[in-house]
Amino acid sequence: MYGMIHRAMRQMVFEQLGEEAWLALEHRLKIGPTELLTGMVYEDTLTFEIVAEAAARFNLTVDECLFEFGRYWIRYAEQGSLSSIMTFTGQDLASFIANLDRLHLAVGAAMPGTRLPSFTTLERNSGHLVVEYRSDRMGLENFVCGLFHGLMDRFDTHGDVAITSRGEKSVVFEIRYHDGQ
Amino acid sequence: MNLSEDQIGALLPAFMHVDHALKISAMGPAIARHLPHVRVGMLCAEAFTIVNFGIAQFFERKTGVEAIRIISLAGNVSLSGAAIFHENGCLLAVRFVLSEETFASGTLDLSDFGHSDPVVLSSMLIALQRAMLEESQATAIELAHERQRSADLLERTSRVAGYMAHDFNNLLSIIQLNTKRLSSRFGHDAKVEKLANIIHETASRGSDVTQSLMTLSQQQIDTLQPISVDDVITDNAAILRSLVGSTISLNINLQAAQRKSIVSYNGLLNGLINLLINAREAMPQGGRIDLSTSVSSGLIPSESGPQIPKPCDYIAIRVADNGHGMSDALLSRAFEPLFSSKPNGTGLGLASVRNFVGEMGGDVWLESATGQGTTVHLRLPVAGSSVAPFTGVVDTMSSTSLDAKGQQRILLVEDEPYALEALFEMLESEGHAVTACKSGEEALIAVGQETYDVLLSDIVMPGQNGTEVARQASAAQPSIKVILMSGYVPDSASLEPGWMFLHKPMDSAELLRVISA
Ligand code: HEM
Repeated sequence: MYGMIHRAMRQMVFEQLGEEAWLALEHRLKIGPTELLTGMVYEDTLTFEIVAEAAARFNLTVDECLFEFGRYWIRYAEQGSLSSIMTFTGQDLASFIANLDRLHLAVGAAMPGTRLPSFTTLERNSGHLVVEYRSDRMGLENFVCGLFHGLMDRFDTHGDVAITSRGEKSVVFEIRYHDGQ
Repeated sequence: MNLSEDQIGALLPAFMHVDHALKISAMGPAIARHLPHVRVGMLCAEAFTIVNFGIAQFFERKTGVEAIRIISLAGNVSLSGAAIFHENGCLLAVRFVLSEETFASGTLDLSDFGHSDPVVLSSMLIALQRAMLEESQATAIELAHERQRSADLLERTSRVAGYMAHDFNNLLSIIQLNTKRLSSRFGHDAKVEKLANIIHETASRGSDVTQSLMTLSQQQIDTLQPISVDDVITDNAAILRSLVGSTISLNINLQAAQRKSIVSYNGLLNGLINLLINAREAMPQGGRIDLSTSVSSGLIPSESGPQIPKPCDYIAIRVADNGHGMSDALLSRAFEPLFSSKPNGTGLGLASVRNFVGEMGGDVWLESATGQGTTVHLRLPVAGSSVAPFTGVVDTMSSTSLDAKGQQRILLVEDEPYALEALFEMLESEGHAVTACKSGEEALIAVGQETYDVLLSDIVMPGQNGTEVARQASAAQPSIKVILMSGYVPDSASLEPGWMFLHKPMDSAELLRVISA
């Protein structure tokens, strides 16, 4: 995956465990700043190694860590120039998710070589969404779950995310949510 | 092709349709979202102003497409696009005007724009690229810090390695000198001689280890001694010839064999190599290089400090090519570090030559003109030829400095008692008159009391260090020959031109040779 994702992971470790923990992780994986170049595409195996190593340091399973990272990514993307893109993508949970593919379309145009996911809203009622996530990567469901939770935080809502079905390259999520007050 | 309102709304969420009476007959979801007071059936003029043509003439042109700009009466919404006229009225195929502020402010979002809207994509691309640029800048800073960190670490490690080598060299020096003492005193006993040889050899191996340590710590292990420039060129003629290549003839004419200059051997050789490489690169088509030496006398302006030029004999080295030469502009920048006229040049060649020559007390300059070739002139002071500047200090003893047998009055300064003792004994046994001092302070007192031919001093000592002693001793006795010794390579800038430097552990024969050189 793109170095941008690695940087976000580093930021999360930095914030929650401190710089030393990240340096130890780098040392362990024999990586350094050259593996964190925003505009470089790295092997997914490296990305997964970083996640696994971070999970061990957070004392979490890899899936739990992916969940936390998903949630964190939303906060990460709210910083700096990415924030305007997040703002522009949607003003509420449902329309934001409906516009995710358009966001990633722009990401794909700016970052050649990305393998981006696709999100289709299958059902949209008040406080209830059924969303299909399609990707040619396996094992990121917990990441997506975390992302949805992060988005709920962003829009000041609470709720649950559940997986209702799994296809070959797709997973269907059901999101039930209500306002934060 | 007939499209439903919903379908048009998906393509153009801010579209409107007006009939011939200019009443709004349909509108897209984004208009309803952002201007809730606008209703179907309402007159367009009740909610909007059309900027680029008057309402009265709106339907004068009944068919075709016109560019149109519309602003809400409250002024908060601006739309632009095309007015498409047809028999039932006009389709206002407009979209929100997206500025940088509206993009980031959250007043509009993706749902307000059509799927294939290129302006949206470009606005998002710009924001993404900006974000990537920010991250890249942060990364560049991180990489620079990382580099600095590694450089600092290397520097620290080198320094530690240097200190260790220094201490170790000092110990080896003591062992070497005392082994020499042992074998000269008891060498007639074959067993002692054998043991002394073993110790000597082992110490030499230890010295090799420290040398590699010093090479690792990037300290040059070079000594400063009187060297014949002609010998350096003759010894390395084969290398120098192969360096210039077969299309260039290298003509060597050496006329300075009788004189020596106190320089570092490697420094001189590197300098010559740099100059020959420059000359070769100035002649890609081949040509001729003249490398010559001669002896002259004159004034050499000192590069190190504001001293007045010193009259002295010097060895002149001349490297002349018949290549493409340099313009005045190039010539004026040729010695600048990192300046290079060549596409893959480092710009360090001439700068390092100048650095080296300056440290050795000489000077260097260029003569060149476009198409006329380039000549580099180098001057290195002849060892011991410097005439004392008229500072009021009169060297009363200089005429009696050497006695008939080459015996010298030596001021020996060394803080290691065992080394001091061994050196003292060795020099005395060679017939020199030696005053031994355990510290710089003691040595300076001795300088005030007596005249010496040679100051032989360690550099690193507590209190007054060797370079400081040498500076004060040469000021008081300008003809004194300064020989400094250390297990540590001093910063060349701390040594003055004309001073000799021997690396510890030194070879006794070499030391004696340098003393009587
Ligand atoms: C400004 C915001 C965002 C940017 C710049 C961005 C960018 C990216 C990038 C660069 C990748 C890696 C693709 C690769 O290297 O192959 C990626 C993957 C992904 N993104 Fe986003 N993204 C953003 C927001 C979101 C949000 C809000 C979601 C929420 C659901 C999301 C969901 C995903 C998922 C699930 C993946 C994993 C790829 C896969 O499943 O194959 N992204 N994104």
